[in-house]
Amino acid sequence: MAKILIDGKPLEVTDGLTIMKAADSAGIIIPRFCYHPAFVPEGSCRMCLVEIEGLPKLELACSTVVRDGMKISTGSENVVEARRGVLEFLLAEHPLDCPICDKAGECTLQDYYEGYGRYKGVFQEFKEKREKKLVLGKSLALDRERCILCTRCVRFLTEVTKTQELGVFKRGVRSEIGPYEKEPVDNNYSGNLVEICPVGAITDLDFRFKTRPWFLNTGESICPLCSRGCNIYIDYLPGFARQEETKKVLRIRSRENLRVNGYWICDLGRYGYSRLDQNRWEEPAMYQAGKRIGINWDKALIVLAEKIKGLVIRARTARIAVLAQTYLTNEELFLLRRLFRDDLRVERILFVDPPQGTGDELLLTADRSPNRRGAQEIGFDLNLPTLEAATQGTELLLVFGSFLHDRFDLAGVKTALEKVATKFLFTPRVRDHNALFDFVLPTAMTAEKSGSLTNFEGKVQKFGPALELRGESLPEWRFLVNLGKELRTNYRYYNQFVSPKEIFREMVKEIPFFEQDR
Amino acid sequence: MEEKVLTRHFGLENFYKIEVYLKQGGYQAVKKALLEMKPEDVLAEVKKANLRGRGGAGFPAGVKWGFVPQKVQKPRYLCVNADEGEPGTFKDRYIMAHIPHQLLEGIIISSYAVGIHSAYIYIRGEYEAIAQRLEQAIAEASVKGFLGQNILKSGFDLDLAVHRGAGAYICGEETALLESLEGKRGHPRLKPPFPASVGLFQSPTVINNVETIVNIPVIIAQGADWFVQKGLPKDGGTRIFGVSGAVKKPGIYELPMGASLKEIIYKYAGGLPEGRTLKAVIPGGMSAPVLTAEEIDIKMDFESLVAANSMLGSAAVIVIDDRTSMLQVLKTITKFYSHESCGQCTPCRIGTSWIHKIVTRIAEGKGEKDDLETILRLASNIKGKTLCPLGDAAAMPILSLTQKFSKELAAELPN
Repeated sequence: MAKILIDGKPLEVTDGLTIMKAADSAGIIIPRFCYHPAFVPEGSCRMCLVEIEGLPKLELACSTVVRDGMKISTGSENVVEARRGVLEFLLAEHPLDCPICDKAGECTLQDYYEGYGRYKGVFQEFKEKREKKLVLGKSLALDRERCILCTRCVRFLTEVTKTQELGVFKRGVRSEIGPYEKEPVDNNYSGNLVEICPVGAITDLDFRFKTRPWFLNTGESICPLCSRGCNIYIDYLPGFARQEETKKVLRIRSRENLRVNGYWICDLGRYGYSRLDQNRWEEPAMYQAGKRIGINWDKALIVLAEKIKGLVIRARTARIAVLAQTYLTNEELFLLRRLFRDDLRVERILFVDPPQGTGDELLLTADRSPNRRGAQEIGFDLNLPTLEAATQGTELLLVFGSFLHDRFDLAGVKTALEKVATKFLFTPRVRDHNALFDFVLPTAMTAEKSGSLTNFEGKVQKFGPALELRGESLPEWRFLVNLGKELRTNYRYYNQFVSPKEIFREMVKEIPFFEQDR
Repeated sequence: MEEKVLTRHFGLENFYKIEVYLKQGGYQAVKKALLEMKPEDVLAEVKKANLRGRGGAGFPAGVKWGFVPQKVQKPRYLCVNADEGEPGTFKDRYIMAHIPHQLLEGIIISSYAVGIHSAYIYIRGEYEAIAQRLEQAIAEASVKGFLGQNILKSGFDLDLAVHRGAGAYICGEETALLESLEGKRGHPRLKPPFPASVGLFQSPTVINNVETIVNIPVIIAQGADWFVQKGLPKDGGTRIFGVSGAVKKPGIYELPMGASLKEIIYKYAGGLPEGRTLKAVIPGGMSAPVLTAEEIDIKMDFESLVAANSMLGSAAVIVIDDRTSMLQVLKTITKFYSHESCGQCTPCRIGTSWIHKIVTRIAEGKGEKDDLETILRLASNIKGKTLCPLGDAAAMPILSLTQKFSKELAAELPN
């Protein structure tokens, strides 16, 4: 351990740490452009220069290792002047694009000028003219005039994805970022480049000109599109109450979690956000003779409860089948087990998950649902059933989720469902097979729920809602609790579940796996 | 005339051919080192000779060699820096053209001393003919058994290759040289770690200038004491001064370390052309701070020039007379550094170009009142703040010129 002083504040630091890492861990902010904790220090932006007592020149915080007894100043006159110098240099060749640049409001150059600049600009020469919109791949645009040559993009593609699409070309002030090949930046992590670019040089064509960051609200969530469970931020326009069309999700960003996804998310999780507010099933409905009739949750609940009670009394619970999927949270899966398997003795709780994809070596897994591990730990068999197994001899079918016709063809699903007397569908989405059911009830997406998910490594992640519930939709856990109460199998048990927190507490008692601080 | 040490045979015909070189006593130093001395003895002798680097930085060669770890399980490398990029410097091209075999001797002895078995000569791309001459000399030396395996049956192996650069001043900076040699863009590396521990291909590497290396056979043949006597107590040997600019006899002049600058200009280089008066002298290559005509009464050694707030650098003396506008000199200097900046770090990349833009604007007659103040401030923001010494190499002449000739420059600006 090394004992050092940063701005007079004593710190004990592990040997071998850089000043930057020591400062970051102590909450002391040293400004930086090229440094990123995921990469080897580069030392080219010169913004992180600090003063070390006894040394004649300023030294870089990002690459200088602490030594016992070091006295570091991050705010001395020399440091202040050096920082202002770096900003003055960068802004000299930087275009005055703020009014039209997407990065405004979340731009490091803007923020640092506010904090460390505030000088009177004297540059009156002609700025270098460069390419302003070089399309770098499916969704990226490079503006070479804005680029400050921090080379984070180049290093991300070299050190993280190891695909090396980008490099630096030419020399001196004519240096520019560019692709080596004619087909540039075509990998599943390209969206991260927009996040790590400190300025508006690399921007997302998907987000271009849509809004200003200060109009957006941000919620925290977990991406459900594979079993990694990457932590995300969801940026959305809040819109107006009860006017769903004014609410819009505009962006998903990565949320740092060194235990799960590090600093990144993949493009699959980043760009699919339109599923959150497009084609949503938002009102409870029933289909009678092919016609869709609006109903309310209470009515649906009563009808379902009566059907179940009827079958239980006549000892025909074998005629009930449940099709679930592993987008359901741990709490919801636990309720399924408790209510259907344990209380009602329903044997057929089957799982229809989205089909597997291809995983990569970074984050994306082949398994494309977020909670298969959770379902396994709760004790379900996840093998894909045949449509026959689900519908043969079934009088009451409950389908949670909407992956039926991703695994089976629509015609086959139609034929199979016609054999079932009463069919309930709990789904968040508008899909072709919705009209095949008697009751279609709107549920929440992961982003609108609270609960927990277990990733493929066995890490249990608790999360809260990032977005509000849309229309009349409810999270599945709330409906299952109401059903439990309505059925009166064990009223007091279900009545304690006012939130997923209580469900989780019960779950831990029965399944010790979930007791973890992993 | 002082006794010449390095340039003794510069006029001798075909001295670059090994037969002629051998006849004059060539490769005796190699024989002495490899067959009669232990590597650590060679190292000790070079240390004792107080040979300071001749590339510009002036770091003691023996001390640098001593930094190379001997116990690491990695190959050690020697890189001879023949990039000779510093404007005003042309001594190394003469050395390599006239006495290539002495350079090879120096390489062999240096490698032996440090335990190096692979050596490179990194030569600037523009020196195509000289690179060919070096290749020729290497071929001749290999045939005679001075290179390759088991040299002179001593058990010492050494492979030597010539690598040509591609036209970048920055590749004269030692870590950028290594990057270029590895096939990458010539971007300097952060130091520490220093090349002596982490150098070429992440292995311990010694990098020395051509002139430094050609002094090694002399030290071994004549002994360290003799060598020190030729120069100054802490600064052994002779120096090859390159004189250019407004003199009657531009060229190279080998003189003892500590020779008088006045003598170099007036006695050896023949003084200024008729009717011209001295205005300024750049003493050590373009990146050395400029001396005014009143400041040339000075000894040309490392310490004396540092005391005068300049540097000996590559000992390239550029003489400027009253014909030359210092504004044009400033424009040339800034054009060079902005063109050669590698672009990695912010202050040098943008600062050199910005200052050049200001100077160009002044030269077009559109100068502003505060321009000189801005130039000084920007240069101070470059100096000491960059990733490699090119920033300092740019900032120092800009600062010294703007300060010492502020009156002449200010005359171009509106008051």
